[in-house]
Amino acid sequence: MADLTAFSYHPGRSFLHLLDVRFKIIFLILISLTGMQADPPALCLLTFLFLCLIKSSRLSLISILKELRYFLVLLFFVLIARALSTPGTPVFEFKLLSISRQGLYDGILICWRLALVVLLGLIFVSTTRPSEIRTAVAWFLKPFPFIPGKKVATMIGLIMRFVPVILAQAKETSDAQRARGIENRKNPIYRLVKLAVPLIFKTFQNANNLAVAMEARCYSENRTDPDLSSKKNDWIAFFFVICLCILVVEI
Amino acid sequence: MNQAEQLRMMVYASLLAALTAAGAYIAIPIGPIPIVLQNLFIFLTGLLLGSKWGVASVAVYLLAGASGLPVFAGGTGGLGRLLGPTGGYLLGYLPAVYLIGFISEKMNHRRFYDALAVVCGTIIIYACGIAWLKTITGMTLTKTLAVGMYPFLPGDVLKIVAAVIIAKSLRPVIGQR
Repeated sequence: MADLTAFSYHPGRSFLHLLDVRFKIIFLILISLTGMQADPPALCLLTFLFLCLIKSSRLSLISILKELRYFLVLLFFVLIARALSTPGTPVFEFKLLSISRQGLYDGILICWRLALVVLLGLIFVSTTRPSEIRTAVAWFLKPFPFIPGKKVATMIGLIMRFVPVILAQAKETSDAQRARGIENRKNPIYRLVKLAVPLIFKTFQNANNLAVAMEARCYSENRTDPDLSSKKNDWIAFFFVICLCILVVEI
Repeated sequence: MNQAEQLRMMVYASLLAALTAAGAYIAIPIGPIPIVLQNLFIFLTGLLLGSKWGVASVAVYLLAGASGLPVFAGGTGGLGRLLGPTGGYLLGYLPAVYLIGFISEKMNHRRFYDALAVVCGTIIIYACGIAWLKTITGMTLTKTLAVGMYPFLPGDVLKIVAAVIIAKSLRPVIGQR
């Protein structure tokens, strides 16, 4: 799991940790949606707020930036694409390339918005237990008649359990094949098939064992999940987030 | 479908969703661009699970990612990824898997039609991905295709062929059908 959740849940007792998960998910959605339409002054406000939240929940800014490095590369690419393809007054010209003022402005705006939304997601994940997220998802799906919320929650739990197993298995399989000189084979289809078949075969065997084990332990959908309870603080935070969203849209 | 069968399909669907999540990290280093296995597993989800459970599997994967669990490439999750530049490809998985499962089931898993189904699925994934990438970056269509599709096509051809072979050899393992 090392690669996958280098940035996972960090235990703590800060304000964000203690908020109810359901509220946090609502906040996440509200702020993400309004943030996508925010203008520079509102973006400054949001950035400042997020930095305060990171500070107060004792997360390290450096490790967050490290975690986001691939995404930042992607954003940089979006910025370049925007700057090169939008017509307008040129700021910088070199042969066929010209960077326009409008393009640069647009690009920075879009990248800033996306970066903030992803940052918010990271803050959320690192202050919330995966099991709580699962329970909250089930809670939100309850009103929909055709979606079995509990089943979905179980499946999400299973995914999180399987991923490290699969990664370990993949490493083992590819090591075993390297030891047998698979690198001499230049045919990529051969290599794809020879990696994927044993990998999936073994993980399916594991999954079969798991299904049998769940059945033997009388798995049913009526399980005891972590308790979700909303307190006064949650409603106060809710009020502030609504105000913040209105403010962000208005600015 | 009885209770045990249901439970087994549910575990399988979660497993393929987990493979998709892990697939972003498993790469085979051939040529300049390493071949990432993520969409190979998306194809297999459709081919092995069929339309109904395939869609369930991908939907749960996207839901897990949208609610913030780190299952997308790069280790981050959250709505930001679905709204971000590459979000279109992720959302395109959903109709793609449905179509792959549907065609493959209707044609009784014959090899040629399996390949056809996967090709259709790939087209859908790129249609969604390119459309969204174009809106976000504001590039022209030719430019978007040049960065968002052409570099990956050779790898995709390999993955399509591999997916059909793998599906054929794994169907007996999964049991039914």
